[in-house]
Amino acid sequence: MVLQRFLNPSVLAEISGLELVAKTVVDGFIAGLHKSPDFGFSQEFAEYRMYTPGDDLRHVDWNVYGRTDRIYLKRFRGETNTLLTLLLDASASMAFTSHQITKLDYARYLTASLAYLAHQQRDAGGLIVFDDDIRNYIRPSSRQGQLHRILHAIEHAEPGARTDFAKPFIHFQQFLFRRGIVVVVSDFYEQPKKVMETIEPLRFRGNEVVLFHVLDPEEVRPKLKGPALLVDMETEDAMEVSPDYVNHEYREKIDQHIEGLRDESNKAGVDYFLVTTDRPLDAALREYLTVRQGRM
Amino acid sequence: MGLFAPWFLAGLAALGLPVWIHLLRQHKQTPKFFSSLMFFERRTQSSVKHRRLKHYLLLCLRLAVLFLLALLFANPFIERTAPAASSRKLVLIAVDHSFSMRYGEHLEQAKQQAIDIVSKLGSGDRAEVVALGSRVDLLTQPSNDRNALKAAVRSITPSDATSSYAEFARYLRALPRSTHMQVEGHLFSDMQKSSLPSSFSDLRLDDQTSLTLHSVAEPREPNWAVETVSSPPRIYGTRKARIQATVASYGAPAARRYVTLALNGRTVETKPVDIPENGRAQVTFNDIDAPYGFSRGEVRIDGNDLLSDDDRFYFSMERTDPARALFIHDARQTPEYFRSALEAASDAAFALDVVPVAQAAGVSLSRYAFVVASGIGPGLGALENSLTSYVRKGGGLFVALGPASLAAGRVPVTGDRVSESRYAAPEGDRYRNVAQTDRSYPPLAQTGPLEAVKFYQTLRVDTGDARVAARLNDGSPLLYEKRVGEGRVVVLTSTLDNISNDFPLHASFVPFVEGIARYLEGGEARSNVATVGSYIELRTAKDQAVAAEVIGPDGQRALDLKQAASAPIYQVDRAGFYDVRPANGRRQLVAVNIDRRESDLTQIPEETLALWRGGSLRPNPSPAAGNHGPELYPLWKYLLIALFAVSVAESVVANRFTLASREAPPPATRSELPVEAEREKATVGGVR
Repeated sequence: MVLQRFLNPSVLAEISGLELVAKTVVDGFIAGLHKSPDFGFSQEFAEYRMYTPGDDLRHVDWNVYGRTDRIYLKRFRGETNTLLTLLLDASASMAFTSHQITKLDYARYLTASLAYLAHQQRDAGGLIVFDDDIRNYIRPSSRQGQLHRILHAIEHAEPGARTDFAKPFIHFQQFLFRRGIVVVVSDFYEQPKKVMETIEPLRFRGNEVVLFHVLDPEEVRPKLKGPALLVDMETEDAMEVSPDYVNHEYREKIDQHIEGLRDESNKAGVDYFLVTTDRPLDAALREYLTVRQGRM
Repeated sequence: MGLFAPWFLAGLAALGLPVWIHLLRQHKQTPKFFSSLMFFERRTQSSVKHRRLKHYLLLCLRLAVLFLLALLFANPFIERTAPAASSRKLVLIAVDHSFSMRYGEHLEQAKQQAIDIVSKLGSGDRAEVVALGSRVDLLTQPSNDRNALKAAVRSITPSDATSSYAEFARYLRALPRSTHMQVEGHLFSDMQKSSLPSSFSDLRLDDQTSLTLHSVAEPREPNWAVETVSSPPRIYGTRKARIQATVASYGAPAARRYVTLALNGRTVETKPVDIPENGRAQVTFNDIDAPYGFSRGEVRIDGNDLLSDDDRFYFSMERTDPARALFIHDARQTPEYFRSALEAASDAAFALDVVPVAQAAGVSLSRYAFVVASGIGPGLGALENSLTSYVRKGGGLFVALGPASLAAGRVPVTGDRVSESRYAAPEGDRYRNVAQTDRSYPPLAQTGPLEAVKFYQTLRVDTGDARVAARLNDGSPLLYEKRVGEGRVVVLTSTLDNISNDFPLHASFVPFVEGIARYLEGGEARSNVATVGSYIELRTAKDQAVAAEVIGPDGQRALDLKQAASAPIYQVDRAGFYDVRPANGRRQLVAVNIDRRESDLTQIPEETLALWRGGSLRPNPSPAAGNHGPELYPLWKYLLIALFAVSVAESVVANRFTLASREAPPPATRSELPVEAEREKATVGGVR
């Protein structure tokens, strides 16, 4: 497919507008319909059930009550929209890059593409930009102009302070009063257990949680020819490291970290997906739609 | 080991520079930003050690570069035994061809002995033939071609030069250094004692040199010679010359010999003389007449001995008219004292014309050798212009200041200001004496003491930068000279009569006047006699554009065109008459004689010869000796190579170190991160 080539991050980096990036990605991928996971108010009948105190009287089927003197509620399988909340990590470490685009750029393309895809499917989209606190919040909605608001917020997401999952996640759980899909895009420089401890409550509320672990290829397999003084982009701590350590022990540790995140995600029923910034975006979109399919 | 220029070691102070750079200056490493150091551990020891090792290696290389550079300038050397030159031998064959070798068959004997040595050369030996005179003339290059060597020996002809054993020894010392061979010298000479240098150390030989002396002279060889001839270089007018000759005997018994004087090839007179054993006798020829112009004279001993060429002595004479001089005087000044003194001079070389100052304006000055202005005062007008022009063109003027000069207020021609007239009464002690005399001043060189002369009246003159030759006891100048144009003006601050002083009454007056006359005429420097090897002056600095000419004893031009146009001097190398026309146009006939030291054939004592042969006190020559002294061997070549190698190594290490430091440079600050730049480029909604 011709448009598939636009899924390459290096190609996308040449496109100036984020909306155009998202459109290019999504049009290059697929667009499809889906069914709402909840019973709603569409015309497709689902079932009757007995009235229980507290039910909304507007859903009572009065015709059945007239014929049987029993109060039944009429339920339909409606075509409803999914609530998609995008959590974008804008910590300082996301500014790292070893080639054309930074991790934050890649995360921008990814979140913008997901927002655009949701908008095309008339899903309500929302955005939370965080680092060690919530930097920006756009309430999920499917109103006119919502996509532009999300894209604008993504556009202005700047590398901030260090990543701290606990504080912003506790804080924005109050905003997630409806079930839906929560997509977390981050480099997850935190212990896997701590990450899961922070994210699991979202899962308990019935949300589908997807973790996109964005890493630069250099972070997975760093190449160092000689001793170097490395500076942490978040803490600005400096450390002199040798190539020997980087080539062996560091690689083992980063692999263990990825595996730890994957295992913890599986245990918690959270979808985990590792993306490196040199890979096309279609895999991430496919992951989203797979999860979205499961919600139908 | 030593250093030729140890003061360059001060450059080692520059070693502190790399030490400061490497150790005192804090190393700054460009940091590399990384997303998180979560998975890194502080294991820096190995990398730091690695980097420090690089530092120390670089430091050592840089220190080595500076050390080698300073050492290179200090130019070290080592003492080592000379290379094995003993395996190669150079035979130096020197044949003395000085004048004394004309005695009998000396030169032929020497050449024959030299040819014998050539015949005995080994097959691998190389030899060189030189002729020894006042200098060493190289006749062949080192060669093993015996025929060429023999031909070179046969080509040696006798010369008129003196022999110098010091020159031979100097050449013998230099030869091993230039050829890197052991030198075996053979000198064939008459071993004249007069050829020895004044210092025996000039004869020293190196250890790589051996010397064999081949004497061709007998222990006692009698010789007579005309040692000197005293004759006037010029005779004037109708005067006749008196010629005196000294005849010497060298190792010869007392004998009566006949001495003949010849002029222009014509025998004038012969006189017998009794010469004592090893002594001298004088012969005088009186009233010798000579024609006008130059005459070639010769005094010779009749009856040849074995060294006949020193039995004659050449001299030259010139008969000419007396030079004319002009005496311009004030009416109060008398010329008689000056005229009398000039006529009383030994050879009466001048004829004096006396003109009162009032009549002098129309006189042509160019025909006079010099002019005397005595006591002339103001109002000279055209006369002073003529005098100034005459002096500027090279003429000589002698000014004696009198009372009228005080009225003029200045010295004629020079313009020196006359400030005052100082009087002293003739009676009593009120007079002034000469307190300071410059005897190096030519007119005063032959003048007797002037201290007894009493000066009653003198004029005080501001002499400026003039050369003052005599001063009175009050410090005022009495006699001084000032150059004007090409000529010179000599000023006496008193008169030439016995009124202002009593100088004319003293015996020193006549030589003073003669000296002044000779000096102003300019003939004092001319000499008509020289010896072989001496130099004749052809031109001075101001005569560069005029050609000179020298006609040798054989009647041929002795100068080529280049020498005639630019050579300042000419060295005479043969006995005889040289017709010299220097650049100043004054022709000379120079009689050149052989140095009479060559006539003394007394030989060097055997113990002196033994000491010379021994060189460094060795008993006898040992040509095959291989034990050479230490040689200073410079090490700069090796230091230069080492410096080049270390510099290359330093460049490589420094380059690698720099590359490692610059490897994959990350953004230095957060503001320089790409995301920031990208963020600034993009606008909301993707619209620029």
